[in-house]
Amino acid sequence: MDNIIEIKNVTYEYTEDEATHIAVKNLSLNIERGSFTVILGHNGSGKSTLAKMLNGLNKPTLGTILVDGINTLAEETEIEVKRRVGMVFQNPDNQLIASIVEEDVAFGPENLGLPPKEIRQRVDSALKAVGMEEFVSSTPHRLSGGQKQRIAIAGIIAMEPECLVLDEPTAMLDPKGRREIVDTLHKLNKEKGITVILITHYMEEAENADRVLVMNDGEIISDGKPHEVFQNVEMLKSVGLDVPQTTELLYALQKNGFKVNTNVISVTDTAREIKKVLEGV
Amino acid sequence: MAILEVRNLTHTYSGNSPFMNDAVKDVSFTVEKGEIIGIIGHTGSGKSTLVQHLNGLLKPTEGNVLFENEDIWENPKEIRKIRSKVGLVFQYPEYQLFEETVFKDISFGPRNMGLESEALENTVKEICGIVGVKPEFFEKSPFDLSGGEKRRVAIAGVMAMKPQVIVFDEPTAGLDPKGREDVMEIIRSYRKATNATVIIISHSMEDMAALADKVIVMNKGSLYMFGTAREVFSHSDELRKIGLNVPIVSQVFEALGLNNIPLTVDEAVEILKKRVGDNA
Repeated sequence: MDNIIEIKNVTYEYTEDEATHIAVKNLSLNIERGSFTVILGHNGSGKSTLAKMLNGLNKPTLGTILVDGINTLAEETEIEVKRRVGMVFQNPDNQLIASIVEEDVAFGPENLGLPPKEIRQRVDSALKAVGMEEFVSSTPHRLSGGQKQRIAIAGIIAMEPECLVLDEPTAMLDPKGRREIVDTLHKLNKEKGITVILITHYMEEAENADRVLVMNDGEIISDGKPHEVFQNVEMLKSVGLDVPQTTELLYALQKNGFKVNTNVISVTDTAREIKKVLEGV
Repeated sequence: MAILEVRNLTHTYSGNSPFMNDAVKDVSFTVEKGEIIGIIGHTGSGKSTLVQHLNGLLKPTEGNVLFENEDIWENPKEIRKIRSKVGLVFQYPEYQLFEETVFKDISFGPRNMGLESEALENTVKEICGIVGVKPEFFEKSPFDLSGGEKRRVAIAGVMAMKPQVIVFDEPTAGLDPKGREDVMEIIRSYRKATNATVIIISHSMEDMAALADKVIVMNKGSLYMFGTAREVFSHSDELRKIGLNVPIVSQVFEALGLNNIPLTVDEAVEILKKRVGDNA
């Protein structure tokens, strides 16, 4: 298997109020190149700490992380790691710096010292990839939250990373903005082959992921395809998470004696499951 | 009995300037005492501007806000009085915590209303009991709490003024699922204990369908729909047209082509039980 990220026995400790806390505990994990992974977990489960280790913002206390074979601990290759893994955070307002959209998106490639023609191409292509090409000359602060966050993503895409790590990019958006972001990420994943690692508190955003990881107390407690992970309704609730309402419905029906499969997530598939029950009578 | 009435409310930002913008346009609705009203609408639809009029934080450019049939701007010097009757919990209310201890922070509002010593202490303790702020937190600094606990304390601070109407602007924003469920539980407990009227802005159609008696839909500053949750969520096409939707469980039943559309998982189970029972 071709892995873009290899995490081997990684522990992350930090000190606060003179006490040592372990945010990530002896975690091992590989992320396949070109895959779409969603990480779920309650606040304080270690997701963000893990995310920041993937591009070297946080360094493991123990263990190693290889990005495209490069150790994130090696100082001389730090820039190589950051070039391969781009990070997007929760609040788009903290990530936009210029007063015109295209200048904002050009900031990264300019810092890479690329020729102007190449920068132009990258900015146009990045804006197109996130569906914001018509806003090239707009002022970012007049855009909606979802649009701003897509500009922030375009700024990262323009650096042409192999992998995008997004830490709750939809937390401050409305449902429409959330859909825009998740659709954009799937498009980038399919069309550009960018590896996506999405951290979220919205279970339904995991629906079309290749893989879902659940973190609790710094460890991965569940790892599988979305429908496999969401089967564990009780376990997810016990660690402060939830399941999509479709799963909740099928699970409630099963508890009430209906013979339905609980391993589907989409609205269409859920309707089909219920239809089978209705027609079976 | 009507507790709040909004009549033809218009709010214009930056009037007479090139940036003049009607944030709220000719909105009218009535809230009955004890109702739970949900307000939905995408970002920028005017929801937050609208609710900031309910406790006199913003003054209508045109139109009126009536509390128990009296215009709250009748005597502008007295506008602060409405703040103890209509409590407003802002978005990310934990950013407004400021006192040294949790207990002092929650006491701030009722103390400003003139409550002292034992009466003050009893009120704060009562609210803490309702919303689940544990006594061992009382002497802690609010800044040492987790995100979810900070929000609980901030909400308790507004509830401690015992407002007759309490307004929440996206109370679950930015929280994890457990945090969201905790906040919804706080709101249910407060209502159960006080029978207060509750107005809540939310992006979760599922939460609104389960909780709200009536739903206001805002779009581009105007009131797009106002009715019982069942009425509003029966207009799925209109809601989708403005970027909203119906609860996921309702979407499943729409896809099934059934006429009887549930708003919650419990309702869905009941409908299917009945259907299967009738056919058996």
